[in-house]
Amino acid sequence: MEADDLALVERARAGERDAFRALVVRFQRKVYAVALGIVKDPDLAWDVAQETFVRVHRGLGDFKGDSAFSTWLFRIATHLSIDAVRRERSARKEDVDEVRESDLEDGGEGILATPLGTDPRQNALRRELGEKIEEALATLPEKHRTILVLRELEGLSYEELAERLGIHKGTVMSRLFHARKKMQAALREYAGIRGDADRDGEDET
Amino acid sequence: MTRRSFILAAAAAVLFSAVPIAARADVPVHVRVIKGSRRGPKQVDPRLDALRRQLSALAYVNWQETQERRVTLVKGRTEFVQLPDGDMAGITLQEERGTIATIEVALASRNTQSRLTIEKGQRIVHQVTGERDGAAFFLTIAVWP
Amino acid sequence: MTKKDCVRFAPMIGAREGELSEVEARALAAHLAMCRRCQELAARFARTDGLVAEALLARANARDFAPFVDQVMDRIGTGAPQGARSGRGLLGWVGRHWKGTLSVTAPALAALAVFMYVHFGGPGQVASLEISSQGVSTVLQTSDGPVVLLPPEEHPS
Ligand SMILES: [Zn+2]
Repeated sequence: MEADDLALVERARAGERDAFRALVVRFQRKVYAVALGIVKDPDLAWDVAQETFVRVHRGLGDFKGDSAFSTWLFRIATHLSIDAVRRERSARKEDVDEVRESDLEDGGEGILATPLGTDPRQNALRRELGEKIEEALATLPEKHRTILVLRELEGLSYEELAERLGIHKGTVMSRLFHARKKMQAALREYAGIRGDADRDGEDET
Repeated sequence: MTRRSFILAAAAAVLFSAVPIAARADVPVHVRVIKGSRRGPKQVDPRLDALRRQLSALAYVNWQETQERRVTLVKGRTEFVQLPDGDMAGITLQEERGTIATIEVALASRNTQSRLTIEKGQRIVHQVTGERDGAAFFLTIAVWP
Repeated sequence: MTKKDCVRFAPMIGAREGELSEVEARALAAHLAMCRRCQELAARFARTDGLVAEALLARANARDFAPFVDQVMDRIGTGAPQGARSGRGLLGWVGRHWKGTLSVTAPALAALAVFMYVHFGGPGQVASLEISSQGVSTVLQTSDGPVVLLPPEEHPS
């Protein structure tokens, strides 16, 4: 697949518009999905995805092929998405990445074991709840949304996440941990299950 | 295996269960090659009944099944289907999650690959030959038939 | 096992093979084998793993991307293809890419016309239609699954 991408990149670089079109079509939905996960707003995500491809086109001459084309493409998409959020975001208290004892407390998310079970017969439920994922994701701070989206959608490794986000591997791990915890708490909210152990924000300074 | 190493192995299994499902992913599929013609009586092979709605979107009026196979797709192993025009279609499971599967259909001589995501109950209908004399062949894939 | 151990090991939960050093992986496995709390955490994380990707891709797939590539190409500019007047999206693309080879591709065009009819006039059966100029050309998303049309062959043998 990737060799195929490079062939298209070569042709696009040589000025073949159809080759670039093909690259856009190939990646448009996934780029949009990454942007949507980070910026939340569908229209803004559409704009960010478009801008990504415009920048990619502009940068084709500089693309050395050291990394996969898709890696380069999604790196640009990530940075544009984060920029877009930061431009819109009001000054807000930053979350810490450090994991503390209190973070380990079960906020009642264990209850998700039922609706999200791995039993295939419960997949309908899983999907139903899946529809709430986007809303749940949107309640997370930008850095937690971003790392979760990159990990899950792009499948980046700890090393790649560290490189992409410019943080240490240890920070990657603890940030992912917080992101997952928050996601579970938010899911519980959206699943309509209200535990009495709501302790969100415990990792805010 | 000692008791302790067994516990460690089990713990490792829990740990790595968060990995995108890899080893155990296999998806049984029902693969058929069907022929669509613009001419001839307006008719759909009764074996293709389940496909009627999808086929009706196409400009062909006469549909016949010419080949049929049931295989189990395993990640990383491509199954091949010989096509009537001598070309070869490769079918590969890309991803499986619950009742949703992403399957790649590749046509060797045309150098095309499409990745298509469907869920149980849905089917892929993929044209696999160019049109000759008003007829073309299609591949259909149903997952967990 | 102490709680301090959990603080150290919890962030390692969900690591993929090869992401932890061998020492870390072994220490984590040993901790998991003994620590119920971390086992539960691992199980919970595993259960929701992949949901975010699934949801976002589903949203992307549900959106009509027909105009996307034309908008990008318009913004890129430089020798914009003719025919943009026929509108953005599908119709514009078809106008630019299919008419020129009409004689060779008449049958495929006929099929495409049917697609478009379904797309614009159908009773909501079709979720979206996307076209690529490379490889596989047309994907029609129906509620029963995708229908893929090949591009016409350029050199029929
Ligand atoms: Zn523990």
